[in-house]
Amino acid sequence: MSEKVTIALLGQPNSGKSTLFNALTGLHQHVGNWPGKTVEKKEGSFSYGGRDYELADLPGSYSLSANSDEEVITRDFIASGKADVVCILTDSSQLERSLFMAADYAGITVPCMLILNMADVAAAQGKKIDAGLIEQKLGVPVVLFSANDKKGYAPFYNALERAVAEKKTLDTASLEALYEKIPRYSEVKKLMPEDLIPGYSPMWLAAKTLENDPVVLAKLKNTLDVETVSRIDGYRKGVQGAVETGGAKFSWIDGILAGAVTEKKENLTLGRLDRIYTHKTWGKPAVVLTILLGLIASFIPALPLMGFGKVFGMLKEPVTAALTSAGCPDFIISIICTVFIQSLSYIFQMLGFVFGVTLVFGLLEEIGVMARVSYVFDNTMGKLGLQGKSVMPFLVSFGCTMGGAAGTRVIDNWGQKVLTIALAWAVPCGAAWAVIPMLSSLFFGPGAVLVIVVILLTMLLHMWITAKIFGRGLVKEEDRYGMIMELPPYHKPKWGALFRYVLGRTKDTFVRVTKVVLLVCAIFWLISYSFSADSVPLLYRIGTAIEPVTKLFGLNWQLFVAFIASSVGKEGALGVISALFTGGNFAGAFNQAMSGGGVASNLNEILLSNVTKPEALAFIFAITFNMPCVVALAATYQEIHSAKWTAKIAVYYTLTALLLAAIAYRIGLVIF
Amino acid sequence: MKLSELKENQNAVVAKLDGDNRFISRITSIGLTPGCRLQVVKNDRNRPVLVYSRDTMIALNRKECSGIEVTEL
Repeated sequence: MSEKVTIALLGQPNSGKSTLFNALTGLHQHVGNWPGKTVEKKEGSFSYGGRDYELADLPGSYSLSANSDEEVITRDFIASGKADVVCILTDSSQLERSLFMAADYAGITVPCMLILNMADVAAAQGKKIDAGLIEQKLGVPVVLFSANDKKGYAPFYNALERAVAEKKTLDTASLEALYEKIPRYSEVKKLMPEDLIPGYSPMWLAAKTLENDPVVLAKLKNTLDVETVSRIDGYRKGVQGAVETGGAKFSWIDGILAGAVTEKKENLTLGRLDRIYTHKTWGKPAVVLTILLGLIASFIPALPLMGFGKVFGMLKEPVTAALTSAGCPDFIISIICTVFIQSLSYIFQMLGFVFGVTLVFGLLEEIGVMARVSYVFDNTMGKLGLQGKSVMPFLVSFGCTMGGAAGTRVIDNWGQKVLTIALAWAVPCGAAWAVIPMLSSLFFGPGAVLVIVVILLTMLLHMWITAKIFGRGLVKEEDRYGMIMELPPYHKPKWGALFRYVLGRTKDTFVRVTKVVLLVCAIFWLISYSFSADSVPLLYRIGTAIEPVTKLFGLNWQLFVAFIASSVGKEGALGVISALFTGGNFAGAFNQAMSGGGVASNLNEILLSNVTKPEALAFIFAITFNMPCVVALAATYQEIHSAKWTAKIAVYYTLTALLLAAIAYRIGLVIF
Repeated sequence: MKLSELKENQNAVVAKLDGDNRFISRITSIGLTPGCRLQVVKNDRNRPVLVYSRDTMIALNRKECSGIEVTEL
């Protein structure tokens, strides 16, 4: 009885799969990647009625064909026999379409159950569904419920326990009768070997063969003799197999639903909100406005954490004072204040933003707004190989790249998620906007406007080129399909599950970000701290030693060190400069790189007397297009869980920033 | 005629699907099979075509739906 049961969730996008997954597992979930694949893997666990369950969330796909990594992974997982029961999710408000996954599953011999999710939406549309009758026709447990209704889970657990105990498979007789009307189906089926792929019946294999399924065809070729294979090839010719079997599947669904669903036929009208979102002219502004409002709304739940971070940062002075009076050595005070307190203060403030963004945009995703965003920006983002939704992380990144990275969780394709983050890094964040206008107007007066325009144009070019460079490896050519997607009806969010999910996510981000930030800050502290009064920090030695090289980019050693510091945080780049040109304390300068403080009162004079115009231009481009900050780096790693890709993006940005600086410097030399 | 040639609020039946394996499987899985009725909800240039079929609002990229032949009702 205490044996663990493994269940797998299978369903089309928007069937409420992640809502159910989050509600069942709460914080007991683990997100990673399927081995060797650019597809996210979600697993979790829960207990009910004295039994432990392992839950695998199979990648969202529309069918069980083998046309994408997601579908191949799903099929391999089912064939592996790891799942005791597969839960097939459908959307009750669109049963006719969403039962397709069940029809495609029919013929697989792994026991299953059917979940008619979103019962509330169906009821609101005036649909009456007889789950009992559907269960009779399918021969497996069927439950009608709403995954977003916390109190309604008893019927689900009940059906799950029945499915585990009874181990029934879908009744396929009526579907096979329909398949048999397809020309050549019967001939092909006779040639199907019994155990070609474990768990898949000859009926299922025959249908897939007619559908020209690449994986099944390859298996057949390897198993059967040449003559049989050529006979099968002959049968496949001249039949549009996938269209025929698709038709049969939908006829089967019609049969299942006959008498089981009664509805009032209403004339279709777009809701008021959808009339705005789908409007020819107002659609895009409406989407941008929605995202900007979402961004502002993100700050409301973010404020407490941000405030806490600020207060935490204020501890530095009293702690320094207390430690100094206790006779603590300077370098320990420096480690505690510069590395620990400053880093944590910074992390808490950023984390507040991540919490807000994850909550607000998670909500927009759940209620169905993000699908409209996808629709409106499909054409534009498609040119970069991305989904329309990617516009959201880009806009959020104008505020904070970490928030942009966190926002990519609504993108369901891992490759596109990584590519979106890689491009979002090129968007100058709030911290950059605090520095660019000030520096530009100091050096170029009214020309600053021109500098900002050029920066925005460079950003677009940067994104375009970066999409070309990274896109090839991340989003395969055959995955670059235009949108074929349903716009789900708006539905109510499940607040409890959403909150628990967001809290869990924020906690995970905190742990991972803290590790990375502390590590990076400790390294910077080590190379920038003067351990004795007469020794110079390592960074100074390196900076001056490679100055001949950095000069090529238009950066003297002070500016180059400030550039390196801006990888930690852009807020403080000016503080670093003022410390370096006035012979200030190095370690303190890095401290300021994150707190954004410590700008000398005569910064303007310092800059104008030490930095030429071309150098200033180079520096502006260098820090604008450098990696956003160490926290964004850590957040990127947290979202894409690939150290390799995180490092690739970081190195790429450091190098391209220097390249852009060099170009800006050369152009500057010509102009000034 | 092609699906994208339909005007807003026109009703039609899917007549024929044309395209590679992946397109056929994708378009079938979302419910657009020959014989299936649909209504065009929105058809603006530079936007996916919005159709309503099998109780579902579906957005179709313009390029993708060039493979869908329909008969007007």
